[in-house]
Amino acid sequence: MTRLSAILDERNLTYTTVAARARLQPRTVRQLATGETSIDNVEVGTVRRIAAALSIPVAALLEPDLRSPGDPSVSRGARLSAAIRGVMWSGAATPYLSPVEAGEPDEISDVPADELFAGMAPIDFRRG
Amino acid sequence: MPVAADVYRRVAEADDLSSGDIAFLSLARTRLAGEMPPGDLFDPLGRVPAYPRPAVVALPHEREVAIDAMFALVVTHSCEIDRQKNADVSAVHFDCRLTVAPIVSEAAVRLVGADGTSATAGWAAIEANDPVASLYLPPIADVSELAPDVDPVGWPRSFADLRGLTTVSRRMVAADRLCGLSPAYLAVLQKQLARFFTWRDLARHELVEALVGRRVVGATPLNSKGDRLRVALTADDGSSLTVELRAR
Repeated sequence: MTRLSAILDERNLTYTTVAARARLQPRTVRQLATGETSIDNVEVGTVRRIAAALSIPVAALLEPDLRSPGDPSVSRGARLSAAIRGVMWSGAATPYLSPVEAGEPDEISDVPADELFAGMAPIDFRRG
Repeated sequence: MPVAADVYRRVAEADDLSSGDIAFLSLARTRLAGEMPPGDLFDPLGRVPAYPRPAVVALPHEREVAIDAMFALVVTHSCEIDRQKNADVSAVHFDCRLTVAPIVSEAAVRLVGADGTSATAGWAAIEANDPVASLYLPPIADVSELAPDVDPVGWPRSFADLRGLTTVSRRMVAADRLCGLSPAYLAVLQKQLARFFTWRDLARHELVEALVGRRVVGATPLNSKGDRLRVALTADDGSSLTVELRAR
């Protein structure tokens, strides 16, 4: 869940209400609240208008910094720990197209992998 | 349903890179400026997902690169990873690219169908590795059991999305590698790759209609089942589709 979404939930405000106060399209507010559009990727003025409409500082809308891959300022373990918390558990609920497709399953979907590859030379299995 | 103990294996920093390695990476995809799939510009049945939290770098001529920091799964075959090493090529001349699939977490996204409505029931199919485009990755109660230098945090259930394949530097994988897949689950990855790249469902009706007026230059029998035979047809414009014929 994004910070904007949490604030809207807490105050029981709709996207339309906030959009009207901020003079923005409701779609813009919805995309920012759901995380579909990152708040880092919109104009500063847009963030300021939403913050003003909610009477909160701009900083209250910004998501916490994520550690970047390879960041030398922290250890590998700290980097990975922060990434798991920030990326895997982001709670952003971003809409994402499901890989599940309609239709009948293909004829090898139920075949166990070892059966499918039976008779083939081993691939990676000797690696430690 | 696969469980963590059967799926993951511990890797040390000094271990060779391998297919199935999971690492925290910067992933990139080039596109026309403003393209943000899923979107109306794309075939609703064929569109591909965007990375959950992309940053965008502008390129000349209305192109851009979408970049996101995500965990990803190495799908390049280990034999390919080791090929130059085994051929005694100097390490500095190794091809740096590895193909990786972004890992999508249940706790970070909301699955939607092609019509934009929620598709949370899809997780049951993903767990069973039914979709051709995903490899299920089960939750881990405490990641530090696999990577002792990482905090004792959990790992949510997730899947590697083969629709988002991209390439990264092998040194980037080595720098932020978390764990790997077990040998047994690597076979499941290989099966999913075979399904994704070589096996899809029968052609849709409109694709068959699009073949009208073209010359079929190749017909390859695929398999038969009962009174049905599946045949891959190749047209003179290079397009291909699979149809099913009935013997009677």
